[in-house]
Amino acid sequence: MITVIKPGMQMTIQDLGRHGYRHLGIAQSGALDPYAMIIANRLVGNDDNQNVIEITLGLAQLQFQCATVIALHGADMQAKLGGVSIYPGWCYPVEQGQTLTLATARQGFRSYLAIKGGIDCHAVMNSTATDIAAGFGGLTGATLQANAQLPITPFDGDWPQRGAIAPAKRSVIRVHSGPHQQLRSQQYSDFFAQTKWQVSPQSNRMGVRLSTEHNQLMHTHSLPSLAVSPGSIQLTPSGEPIVLLNDGQTTGGYPLLGTVISADLHQFAQLKPGDFVQFEFVNLAVANTAQQKLDAHLQQLTIALKNLSIR
Amino acid sequence: MDQQTTSATISVLSNNSILLDATALNDDSLSIQKKIWALVQQCNTRDAFIDVVPAMNSLTVYLIDPATLAHWQAQLVLWWTNINPYDYQGKHHKIITQYGGEYGPDLEYVAEYHNLSPQQVIDIHSQGHYQVLFLGFQPGFAYLHGLNSQLHTPRRAQPRTRVPKGSVAIGANQTAIYPADSPGGWHIIGHSDFALFDSENTPPCAIQPGDTLQFVTKESVL
Repeated sequence: MITVIKPGMQMTIQDLGRHGYRHLGIAQSGALDPYAMIIANRLVGNDDNQNVIEITLGLAQLQFQCATVIALHGADMQAKLGGVSIYPGWCYPVEQGQTLTLATARQGFRSYLAIKGGIDCHAVMNSTATDIAAGFGGLTGATLQANAQLPITPFDGDWPQRGAIAPAKRSVIRVHSGPHQQLRSQQYSDFFAQTKWQVSPQSNRMGVRLSTEHNQLMHTHSLPSLAVSPGSIQLTPSGEPIVLLNDGQTTGGYPLLGTVISADLHQFAQLKPGDFVQFEFVNLAVANTAQQKLDAHLQQLTIALKNLSIR
Repeated sequence: MDQQTTSATISVLSNNSILLDATALNDDSLSIQKKIWALVQQCNTRDAFIDVVPAMNSLTVYLIDPATLAHWQAQLVLWWTNINPYDYQGKHHKIITQYGGEYGPDLEYVAEYHNLSPQQVIDIHSQGHYQVLFLGFQPGFAYLHGLNSQLHTPRRAQPRTRVPKGSVAIGANQTAIYPADSPGGWHIIGHSDFALFDSENTPPCAIQPGDTLQFVTKESVL
């Protein structure tokens, strides 16, 4: 069992999310930074889709009532286990009774805590991810609160200490151009791509809202509802783009400026209010190459971990 | 423009998603939507998609394998050209509804707005034959086609912070059933115990795109 002492700004149980239910209005949910989550899982010997704890900003504390092995990845929240500093991208054995304390993220916004064997909770539509808006998944369908008890299977065997590096970060997010002619004029796409956008405080797991001074993207286009998904960039009438994330709705009536390429979407997990972000339009070939590069990064990790366990 | 009025527009949204947009076609929206449902059915016969999502006169498919993007782009055009709008037959649902009183606090307002009696509003609403265009907004929320224009009512100036689960409501030219408690600006005219969404059910939503439904008064089934 793990006891949540302090959940911090927002703490949820997530896996890689729900797929195949969008036609019923059911969001994907799942870890906003799946690569950080997958790497943390692999370090403790879990399947990629094993659930983890998504921690937002930090200021959180968890106590382990039994021995296990953990790995943190994503934002560095200056974690301490039993008072001793531990680092993202490494796995650590945990003794019964030890407390994990997270300060605040210096860089990034979300950290992923993988626990050997994961948290024991029942899958809803093939996923244990928490859908906060609809109120199901995870343990109770809600964010984790103080005193929550998270059931885990104890592990006190030997486990090799090992580490893995995160995929490279980018300062400019790559996007596919959107389908709506009215937003494809040079005026719109140039302004969008040339602006340094600031992440608004209204951002959350549903989407990241972006603002700028002297916004020139105001519009009055309203469309029949069309399907949207994580990565869709909606343009609100006030000219503020919203990059939809995993908890976003399945349909929407705002025109689309474009779609964030699959390889760059996870970077929005690590943007906090006040951060700046820029965009560039790219073609399909660039998007495919970027995804292959990320896949190769994970593939290398698989090989490295296999070699480690053989030795 | 000719291209748009005689066929749908196909757009690649990303390396694994394609939008078929038929919103600019000249046909009426319900017959276009019937073709969309038939196309959904066709797509679901293949093991190529993560999600197949109909919306208002459009369809978006999310591919398992980005390498098949060009193939499916061409295939969707072919299928759309040859699809029969009557290929898809949905289920019919009867939504037992208690109108007015504590169940429908806005029934009187809607009646007054249209110079009708509450009973006339109930009759018009329950005589309608509704088509589930698509689902969205929240799990199990069905966008319905078929609200009699006599009942079209502008949304409330002050949205409610909590519309109870099961509320049958009218907003502008649409009517809907709320699958869960949520904020909302529609007029609540009744209530139904019909479970639109239950995360533990298989499938989790009783109503699917392309289904038909009618509202029946509680009294009529007693």
